[in-house]
Amino acid sequence: MIRTIFIYLFILIVGSLFLGSMILFGIPALQESSLVLPALSQTKDEMEGAEAQKALLEKDLQKFRAKLEKLTPSGSYMLVNTSENHFYLYKDKQLIRDGVCSTGKNERLVSAERNYEHVFHTPFGVRTVQRKQTKPVWAKPDWSFIEDGLPIPPAGDASRYESGTLGAYKLEIGDGFMIHGTIYKRMMGMSVTHGCIRLLDDDLEVVYKTMEVGSKVYIY
Amino acid sequence: MKENSAEDFDGLYVKKKKKTGIKIFLILFCLLILSFTAIYFYLTIGAVRDRMNLAQSQAEGSSAVSPSLIGLMKEKAWIESRLKMAAADSIGLSIDLEERIIQMELKGVVIMKTKIRDYSTSGFFKRMDGNVYFTLFGTPLTIQKYESSIEKNPYKVVQAPKIGQEESTSTKKDTVIHENVFWTVKLDREFDLNIQGIDSVMESQSKYKFGKGFEFKRDLKNIMNSFEHILKFIKPVYTPEILISIPENEAKTILRALPRKAYVTIRI
Repeated sequence: MIRTIFIYLFILIVGSLFLGSMILFGIPALQESSLVLPALSQTKDEMEGAEAQKALLEKDLQKFRAKLEKLTPSGSYMLVNTSENHFYLYKDKQLIRDGVCSTGKNERLVSAERNYEHVFHTPFGVRTVQRKQTKPVWAKPDWSFIEDGLPIPPAGDASRYESGTLGAYKLEIGDGFMIHGTIYKRMMGMSVTHGCIRLLDDDLEVVYKTMEVGSKVYIY
Repeated sequence: MKENSAEDFDGLYVKKKKKTGIKIFLILFCLLILSFTAIYFYLTIGAVRDRMNLAQSQAEGSSAVSPSLIGLMKEKAWIESRLKMAAADSIGLSIDLEERIIQMELKGVVIMKTKIRDYSTSGFFKRMDGNVYFTLFGTPLTIQKYESSIEKNPYKVVQAPKIGQEESTSTKKDTVIHENVFWTVKLDREFDLNIQGIDSVMESQSKYKFGKGFEFKRDLKNIMNSFEHILKFIKPVYTPEILISIPENEAKTILRALPRKAYVTIRI
């Protein structure tokens, strides 16, 4: 009786192992082997005019490489990694400075009472420095008052303006987004801003002096 | 001397019957396993052949490629494809398996570059040549669908006013520590690109293999898919794939930065 049970069990285990190993390893391995995969080739060993074609190809390659190379700005430009909150400043295609920064907090501010919604996010893509300014004054947008639960003042009201918050310099990159300094230095390296790019004072000074109006900022 | 009783004879007959039962079970079981394996084999191999035939037919009509020029032509296809990608306004991904480099590009500018720690490709890619290669990789591919272990674009919804909330929420540094970062994308030319975050080559061999990892999940999904098709007697779908292992932070950065329908350029 025990012998019979043992034989049944043995057959079941060996059979299942065989099937399992075929499904898990055998057939997938065979699927990828050259026994099954025919070579997909239309190549010929020797082709007429191969030399002439080679010269033409090399010429084309040279042209394409130069075209691709030209796409990288030769002046100053900046890369901003929002995932790691790190910036890289380039001049003449050389990295001249990199450091910590702070970018958008990826937050959707919702106010049901005021029927208002705003997304705090640093948008990805390429932007251009449109304006540079020293000792900037921050003109607080509506979301700043909504966020703090305060009534929204009319445009031009004195309560909208705050100096010192943006540091010593600002570089406007369009749609209200800026590169500026901060008073919240302990939060550098974190995603905490309303969409702007915050830099430390020393870094900001170098960036301000290096980047021209028209310089590109690549954000990712 | 004891005489044999009728009961003893009956006992012998039952024993013989039992032995025959085992034999029949054994034969049937083995036949069942072998036939199932054979059907599984036939259908899965058929699926691979179909995929190869499809690739071959897609490449038909283009002129033959000289083997001595393949290297140069691949280089040309790679740069041309990147130039086409640069014409778009969004971030694209270029993968150079020859140089083991993965990079993000925006308007032709390399914005992030990292070394590929480890990679593997399906046999399909090893067998293709000349025209099939240029049909597949001659122009940028487009991402069709993402699947990832972490959220692609996490957003938090906050109710206004939020006085006093900023301190507690913002002091949490975004990090990938203890987070398995892996993602897979379906590309428009019927193959998959899998990216996994690893910090050493050793890790790539083991980290995602068993349990919670992506290779395990993918294998399980493929097997279930194959079974489902085989039970219905239809060929399962064979999707060639490229698996790339890169540092975790970069895997996360690329996932977050790429648009939903991003362009991808590949050189193998």
